[in-house]
Amino acid sequence: MVKRRLPRVNETAHRLRTAAPALAMVLVALLGLGFQLQLPRAFPSDADYREVAAALASAGAPGDVVFLHPWWTERARLFMPPDLPVVGYLGHTSDDLLEHPRIWVLSNERLPRTPEADFRRNFLPDRTPMGAPRQFGPLTLTPYRNGRARRVVLSAIDAFDRLQVSVEGPAGTPAQPCQRTGSRVQCPFDASVEVAWHEVLFQPVRCLFVLPPSAGRTLSLALPDAPAADALMLEAGITWEHAWVPDRAPVDLRLESPAGVLHLRVPAGHEGFVRSETPAAAAGSWTLRLSTANPHDRQLCLRLRALGGPP
Amino acid sequence: MSRAPAPLDRRIALGLGVVTFVVLWTTERPVGFVRDESVYFYAAEQFSRWWALLFQRPAVALSDSVITQAFDFNHEHPMLMKSLFGWSHTLFHQMLHLVRPAAGFRLPAFAVAALIPAILHLWGSVLWSRRAGLFAALSFFVVPRQFFHAHLSAFDMPVAAMWLLVVYLFWRAEEDLRFAPWTGVAFGLALATKHNAFFLPLVLTPFGVLAAWRSASADGRQLLVRMGQVAVAFLALLALLLVVKGRSGLVQSWQVLSPQTFGVVALVVALSTVAFRLRRRDPAAFLRLAPLVAMGLIGPVIFYVHWPYLWHHPVERLAWYFDFHATHVHYAWTYFGNVLRAPPFPMGYVFVVTAMTLPVSLLLPMGVGLLRTGVRNLGDLVPALGRRFGRGGPTEWLLGVNALFSILLISHPEVPHFGGVKHWFPSMPFLALLAGREFDRAAAGLSSALSLTARRGTAVSIALGAIVLLPAFTLTVHVHPYGTSAYGELAGGIPGAASLGFQRQFWSNNVTGVLPWIDANSRTGARVWLHEVNGLSFRDYQRNDMLRKDVIPANGPEDADLAAVQYHQEFREQEILVWQAFGTWVPATGLYLDETPQVVVYRRSGR
Repeated sequence: MVKRRLPRVNETAHRLRTAAPALAMVLVALLGLGFQLQLPRAFPSDADYREVAAALASAGAPGDVVFLHPWWTERARLFMPPDLPVVGYLGHTSDDLLEHPRIWVLSNERLPRTPEADFRRNFLPDRTPMGAPRQFGPLTLTPYRNGRARRVVLSAIDAFDRLQVSVEGPAGTPAQPCQRTGSRVQCPFDASVEVAWHEVLFQPVRCLFVLPPSAGRTLSLALPDAPAADALMLEAGITWEHAWVPDRAPVDLRLESPAGVLHLRVPAGHEGFVRSETPAAAAGSWTLRLSTANPHDRQLCLRLRALGGPP
Repeated sequence: MSRAPAPLDRRIALGLGVVTFVVLWTTERPVGFVRDESVYFYAAEQFSRWWALLFQRPAVALSDSVITQAFDFNHEHPMLMKSLFGWSHTLFHQMLHLVRPAAGFRLPAFAVAALIPAILHLWGSVLWSRRAGLFAALSFFVVPRQFFHAHLSAFDMPVAAMWLLVVYLFWRAEEDLRFAPWTGVAFGLALATKHNAFFLPLVLTPFGVLAAWRSASADGRQLLVRMGQVAVAFLALLALLLVVKGRSGLVQSWQVLSPQTFGVVALVVALSTVAFRLRRRDPAAFLRLAPLVAMGLIGPVIFYVHWPYLWHHPVERLAWYFDFHATHVHYAWTYFGNVLRAPPFPMGYVFVVTAMTLPVSLLLPMGVGLLRTGVRNLGDLVPALGRRFGRGGPTEWLLGVNALFSILLISHPEVPHFGGVKHWFPSMPFLALLAGREFDRAAAGLSSALSLTARRGTAVSIALGAIVLLPAFTLTVHVHPYGTSAYGELAGGIPGAASLGFQRQFWSNNVTGVLPWIDANSRTGARVWLHEVNGLSFRDYQRNDMLRKDVIPANGPEDADLAAVQYHQEFREQEILVWQAFGTWVPATGLYLDETPQVVVYRRSGR
């Protein structure tokens, strides 16, 4: 009996082996087709987005923010309420979003290669769900309490109109005041300060946009009547591609406040924000000085905020 | 085995070429004008005017100043394709009014691209089978990025076609001397297409020399050794100059009366003299070397003659040309979430991007084909491998080296890495050819396993081919005309590639996806900023009726009513400047491919 079956088994195995390359090709082709056929199921319709927007409009509160996951799903911007900030940029999972006590995570986990590990590692710590996720087609909307949020007592961009800006020369020479022209403060030695949107390592930021002075001068920004705070947070980053440009000088910043002196340096070639915090500061004046040897491509985005406790 | 294709395969090749040409023509209308293409359109028109002047007032046209004036624009690329674009535009659009302006320029690009499936079939059918040739030909053009680039009046697809043509003719000439001069002509045309072709002698010389050595008599081998000595002497001179002057000095100090010119002239004269002596003494060895001799003698002549810009200042301008490409700037490129701006670039970049952009059903036979070729070629060197997997032989080596050469060249960490996959296109037809062989083996195996008759075997082969090509075909149809955004299943398609942090798109052509909206939603005389679209492309969209003619190009968001921003990781600042200028972060519309933002349109409030 065994003797009769062996040739048949061998023949079947031989046939399978011979046909294997074709079968492998068919299998891979079918997998490819299957992928393409199921992919559209991951795409939300306009109606899905509108329902999300309606849900946010009814449940949202001042200080809320929408967080896109994955970061690039920015079609959502077309539908979200215009006054609701939407955060979606490469690297945004590490953003503390400290001005936002509640984060609405709008995720689409049906999309291929959604970066879940990055989300778990960088976003989830200190964030706790505040309610059950709601489903809108392939979209999931989940509110999170932001444990990294802080109360912002004062932001330098809100106090921009009160900033006293001047350019200081070498020791002993008098400071040269700057002029306000429209929404910008224009200074000698090609320096200027304005409140504007810019990019710092892919992150859109509304900040004090500073062109540092040339000729070795120092830009001084003073706020005479700042309130008391638990901490002063100073962040500085070179905007756009200028950050990457090699062989450039660092930018040195020095913040004097009732909390003492805080030094911060944006190193050459550094992309992204550099951040530092003071201890608690009493009410009083702040003076921030900055200088660099390469002012033309050290365009700086500055955020200086007085922080309170959790909101 | 004769290397000549059967008459039926010649007719099939012709049919494939014609069908390719027609398909490209009928699908070109929605394809946007990539940044470089409008530059080439402009250059082509300028050169056409010079050619008209040449016939009307030849003495004036041939003067140094007029040639410089006519050809100085875009002199970083040679003239063959641009001349063809210009003549075609003049004939088919301006004189006959048969096609729109863009199609007038693009027709020669379609014709040259159509050479690829034709040659792939000719070659594949002789090497393996008609089935292999057909699969190779079809598989090349159902790759979305290759299909897209075949539409453009640019040089990447033409140089891939020329590279394939030269190597194919070289292969034919090694058997039939009549093909040798045509190899030289094809090499000249390749040089006149794009600078990639300057690497062809490097690739083909070892094959010609080895084949000649194997078939040479003792006398012939002596002459071959002498040729080798001449080449070594030239390389020694080059090395000496490199040491003394440095890389940039070597190029920049190259003049008519210079050691460099002396070296090149001496090399050509000495090699030609010995080669013709070889022809007399050892015709069999010369047969193998003849295509190289033709390339050396005919190629440079065609290159010089076809480019009037070189006529009055051949050495200086050629030196500039080499220097430009040897020191090309690096454009930013996003790869796994990192914006690559300067070397050294990751070694695996080209392999990874190739794998991510090919449809997976074609990646498999291409990858297996390359692997098989590699193993069999190694079998020539390692007998144990040869016994186990078979041996390659000269043709297998030729295919393998050409399939890998451009890929490896661009993989060098110092070579510019922008431009998606187009810079290693010359490798892709060879990978398609190897895929054809794998398909042939698979189809033959299936027929054998099922014990099919010849007729049923053919039917099963057709069905198998259709199944394997279908995912690539649907992918190509789905993404057209946005080919620079295409990613295969391995990447997770376009959205998967976005999550992985790959380059979203490049070259600005995707703006066509929002032009109809701009036409319908902008006021008369609106100022529109089309980010990354240069002035020439803006003009071309208007003259090809893809954008209303009353719309005015804005210089930036600050003076625009509407802004269409191309999504590039390295240009995020540009979109944020629109937020700043328009006072909103809410787009009006956009081109979102499979959810991924490609072009985002903003409208200034109240406009």
